[in-house]
Amino acid sequence: MRYDAVIIGGGLAGLTAGISLQKAGKNTAIVSTGQNALYFFSGCFDSIREPSPEIQALFSEAGIRLHYSPGVRLMPMGTFRESALALEDVSIFPNPQFGKKVLIINFMAYHDFFSSFLAEGLEKQGMECRIRFLNLGDLAQPDLGPNQMRAVQIARKMDDVWEKVVQEVRVLLKDEDTVILPQVFGLKDATIPEKIRQGIPARVVFAGTLPPSVPGIRTQMLLKKRYEVLGGTYLMGDRVTGAHVYEDVVQSVVTKQLDRHYLEADNYILASGSFFSKGLISNPFKIYEPLFELDMDYNMDRNTWYDPSFSNHQPYLKFGVKTDANLCPSRGGVPLKNLYVIGSILGETHPELGSGAGLAIRSALKAAQLITNQT
Amino acid sequence: MNANNQFDVIIIGGGITGAGTQRDCAMRGLRTLLIERSDIATGATGRNHGLLHSGARYAVNDPESAAECIRENMILRKVAAHCIDPSDGLFVSLPEDDLDYQKTLVQACRNAGIRAEIIDPDLARRLEPSVNPDIIGAVRVPDCSVDPFRLCAANMLDAKLHGGQVRLHTDVTAIIKEGNTVKGVRTHNRNTGEDTDFYAPIVVNACGVWGQELASMAGVRVGMFPAKGSLLIFAHRVNNMVINRCRKPSNADILVPGDTVCIVGTTSSRIPLEECRNVAVTPDEVTLLITEGMKLAPRLASTRILRAYAGVRPLVSADDDPSGRNISRGIVCLDHEVRDGVKGLVTITGGKLTSYRLMAEIATDLVCRKLGIDKACETAIHPLPGSEEGSYEEVAKKIWENPTTAQKVAASRLGSRVSRIRTGDRRDDALICECEQVTMGEINLAIERLEASTLTDLRRRTRVGMGTCQGEYCACRAAGLLAKAHGCIEKERADIDSFLQERWKGNFPIGWGDTLREAEYTQWVYKHVLGI
Amino acid sequence: MQYQEYTQSENNFEECTKCSICTVFCPVLQVNPLFPGPKQAGPDGERLRLKDPGFFDATLKYCLNCKRCEVACPSGVNVADIIQSARLHYDQTPPKLRDRILACTDLMGKMARPFAPLINGVASKELPRTLIETALKVDHRRIFPKYGSRSFEAWLRRRQKEQAAFPLQVAYFHGCYVNYNYPQLGKDLVKVLNALGVGVQLLDKEKCCGIAMIVNGMRKEAVKNATHNVSIIRKALEKEGVKVITTSSTCTLTLREEYPALLDVDNADVHDSILIASRYIFECLEKGATLKFRPDYHKRIAYHEPCHMERMGWGIFSERLLRMIPGVEYMPLDSNCCGIAGTYGFKKENYDNSQAIGAALFDQIRAVNPDIVACDCETCKWQIEMSTGYSVLNPISILAEALDTN
Repeated sequence: MRYDAVIIGGGLAGLTAGISLQKAGKNTAIVSTGQNALYFFSGCFDSIREPSPEIQALFSEAGIRLHYSPGVRLMPMGTFRESALALEDVSIFPNPQFGKKVLIINFMAYHDFFSSFLAEGLEKQGMECRIRFLNLGDLAQPDLGPNQMRAVQIARKMDDVWEKVVQEVRVLLKDEDTVILPQVFGLKDATIPEKIRQGIPARVVFAGTLPPSVPGIRTQMLLKKRYEVLGGTYLMGDRVTGAHVYEDVVQSVVTKQLDRHYLEADNYILASGSFFSKGLISNPFKIYEPLFELDMDYNMDRNTWYDPSFSNHQPYLKFGVKTDANLCPSRGGVPLKNLYVIGSILGETHPELGSGAGLAIRSALKAAQLITNQT
Repeated sequence: MNANNQFDVIIIGGGITGAGTQRDCAMRGLRTLLIERSDIATGATGRNHGLLHSGARYAVNDPESAAECIRENMILRKVAAHCIDPSDGLFVSLPEDDLDYQKTLVQACRNAGIRAEIIDPDLARRLEPSVNPDIIGAVRVPDCSVDPFRLCAANMLDAKLHGGQVRLHTDVTAIIKEGNTVKGVRTHNRNTGEDTDFYAPIVVNACGVWGQELASMAGVRVGMFPAKGSLLIFAHRVNNMVINRCRKPSNADILVPGDTVCIVGTTSSRIPLEECRNVAVTPDEVTLLITEGMKLAPRLASTRILRAYAGVRPLVSADDDPSGRNISRGIVCLDHEVRDGVKGLVTITGGKLTSYRLMAEIATDLVCRKLGIDKACETAIHPLPGSEEGSYEEVAKKIWENPTTAQKVAASRLGSRVSRIRTGDRRDDALICECEQVTMGEINLAIERLEASTLTDLRRRTRVGMGTCQGEYCACRAAGLLAKAHGCIEKERADIDSFLQERWKGNFPIGWGDTLREAEYTQWVYKHVLGI
Repeated sequence: MQYQEYTQSENNFEECTKCSICTVFCPVLQVNPLFPGPKQAGPDGERLRLKDPGFFDATLKYCLNCKRCEVACPSGVNVADIIQSARLHYDQTPPKLRDRILACTDLMGKMARPFAPLINGVASKELPRTLIETALKVDHRRIFPKYGSRSFEAWLRRRQKEQAAFPLQVAYFHGCYVNYNYPQLGKDLVKVLNALGVGVQLLDKEKCCGIAMIVNGMRKEAVKNATHNVSIIRKALEKEGVKVITTSSTCTLTLREEYPALLDVDNADVHDSILIASRYIFECLEKGATLKFRPDYHKRIAYHEPCHMERMGWGIFSERLLRMIPGVEYMPLDSNCCGIAGTYGFKKENYDNSQAIGAALFDQIRAVNPDIVACDCETCKWQIEMSTGYSVLNPISILAEALDTN
């Protein structure tokens, strides 16, 4: 099967590259081994600090509204982090003292939302907090089992009964200026968080939960849909198992499910993620990129891979595939002409592109640009 | 001096020896207080194989210890049934091993009263499919595994049920002496910051490797010669029987199944006393443990490793030999009145996990003699709380019509005490730790009844965070419950940090493959998602 | 191999990083409060069962075996295989009579076919349906597949000579459904393949692929069928150039993947030669064969990719074929489970959950309002037809219908 470009990896980087290339008139395929780090996406591009109309437009066309307002956002355990660009349902404040009185809403027997930690964190900022619990069983039937109280399961219920939550909150609300709700709204319909905001006569802040992240999943679904609407082929649940490289040109890649139907393309993009997604593999002796055996930027000595303190930055997170300024990797010292490496498989080898979601998007846009500009 | 601070005996050290001694003393009617610097089972008790020796390992070189082990083994199978997995063990000979040692071993076992039978290697491979298929000989012995945390907690709980008091996270800052007589101890509670004096005519030093420090506070010398042993935990049970190498005891030649995991070990190296508090596993030890472990069960070569950890054996010189050449692995009970002229101080040390009950009995006998109490030891007769009724299946069936996995697992951990987590409120069934299936009910029980005040304390009592993910989601879930119980969020924030640090300490020495993938994910969850 | 170069246990459950993504995709978790979910029932549970088989949980029977967890898993854990394999190995309770009857699709078909008009009549009448529900705990609201009065095997056997004349040959694993309930699909396949110059042969007495036995705990019977099928497939493949073709996504997945994974029946030598018809036809066309379509064929077709097709990653072949028909307006449906999962939805205790799972798909079909729903799975067909009233055709039948044979 022949494409203009084949993208290995269907996370934020792969999808961004795919959408950009489809928009530029290229015919592409994405091979995605299962789901990806978007499922833990906080909804914030922490490493992007300047306005990015290009990124905002790309998301907006997919039905994902971003807002740019430098400041701080509330973290799930009541701390604050500097942010500028975020999904619309993530609030960014000029400073941590954003309110006076806060009503925090949680669900009974839901342990993945940290209402007491949030309250303590906000009280440190001088706010007065009140926590109230809703009983999910009163809102939606059948109730969830005691070991099913997770963000996504609740969100599926909320898709149908969010209006009841609004009513409950209105009843509970006294003189609070702010209401904090868990991020369990708008899985099916991205407009629900905004509707909730309109329905409650106070500032509504959605605070994060333990993964999987509801805004992250929504983002993934909308980006994938956008990619497919643009004509892209998203091969979900398949896995690239090998590649044919002739001298310095990738000829084709092989997938597990399509086996003898090789995927051929003019250009290839490697967006297979870091260790978590098996874009990088480690064993006691080495760290390597398994598909093309690309040259790596890392220290061979295992004793240098870790910092004994969990809270310190871990050296292994810096390791990545070695690429030139145009994100082209090499193999045994020979640069590969038609392969681009993007996203977290780069580790921290390109600090100028940021980290996390920022790195994914910036490197993807850059690779898409380079491919589009080829003549 | 106030009556609340007055006891018959104060036991220092919350390892298995201290907890066992407190239980024995309490059962004989003494008013007891146990003081522990951090938490139960933090020293050698919680840092070994979790092997309930049959005695076979000692049979050739130390027949006395061997005989002790088999007697205690048989007793504990009855009185601590819910802490023990009666799996049996194998001593296997590989082609490079001397098969004659098998006969020596079997003969020595028989002399010590240990049931040991030579079985056909084919039968051994059928009994334990994970065993190295190249074995040329096998001996079956009654080795089995024991959960040291559960055993220690059950002893402490029973002591409490017999009126005993427990102060965890409490330092002994001084021994209160009048002349040459010990009167009590001065303590500092790390949680509350309170300083309190406690009094008793007898103080028992059950501090294991730190016994030398405590003894010196009383002005007496106990010569400890700590030996570090490193072990690896594999992420699931590869073997269901204990697998030993049939040769002279050596490095990394025992593989023990323990609850949901299996553990290979140990190495052995002498270390200075100052290093005891901070022992680390070296890369060379990791390599040695894997390569030797693979010889016992080749599947270890491709099994995910969960953690590496090291413990310190409290070896003690039998007399006052400062060179440490004359080391005893047996039980050492020192009456410092006789030995050093310091009245009211007893040291109980040496020994091993398997013989803890006997150690406690010896120490308690001495305490009773000194207090003029004539009461027989009953710890070998009365089951520990949780071990009163049959198997976990029977226990669970009595409570639930169709027990779920989580309910059955809870019954296997709590034994008959599982009835206490059945509150009728289904919200108590919420899973906090999914890998080990620990529910909110079980965690709250540990907070209320088993003196758990930190996440790490909870882990020892419930296995929360001991599973494959090593606390990825459960640490912050459980922190919420602790915060609710103690009403202090600030403290819980620090607690999460130290819990994750403690998990990472065991992960990074084997940080590759799926373990590193998991670690990377944990970094994302705590640093980027939760913002800790 | 150096030690710890790869860490993969026997059934790869240790690769699970507990990220919980699978729980997002489990359709049962959304509707059944008793189901612990794929992560806990699968890799988490496996670790506990290895400690003690007694930790097996009877609620694992609520797993649909849709394999959506496996498609979603970023770590490549075969979650559903772990669950089904646990059911086969650890479940001590013998399958109920009802489950045995539902599972023996082959035997049911053999017995029912001669009396097809009678059975079809009985199974659709009110009173007997209530009886079926009370006696067998099969939900009375469920519409039973009708039985054809002549088997597909008999039909094709009479055409063996003419089929043998084609230059290329395939052996067709038609499955129980085509044989007893819906021979027309088999006839459609023959029509399309003949148009490509390919003749269709029967296998030497194929048996049911056994998936219904696997999910109903009948391991012994399933192994027997699997062993037999692999051996007749092997025999058919001895002839140069022959492939084994199926028209059911579930039969295909079972023959290729479930035999070794769940039944320990080795099929490594035949695995790559078992193909679903849409992939085989796509390959013929890629090699240069052509199909001519009726100029007057105009249909709006919504394609539902069955869960097992998604697991195999082969929906792309059906999509390509449907898009190739000039008069087809192709509309992909979102990835959703229809809720039937073979015999699962027939069981009285699962009926409501089954319908709740399918609701999203049914809603979308109604919203799209196609002329035909295309789908490669027969049980999805029953479910969608019963629940929405839209007619469902296998892509092969659509090809056959659109084919210009003049």
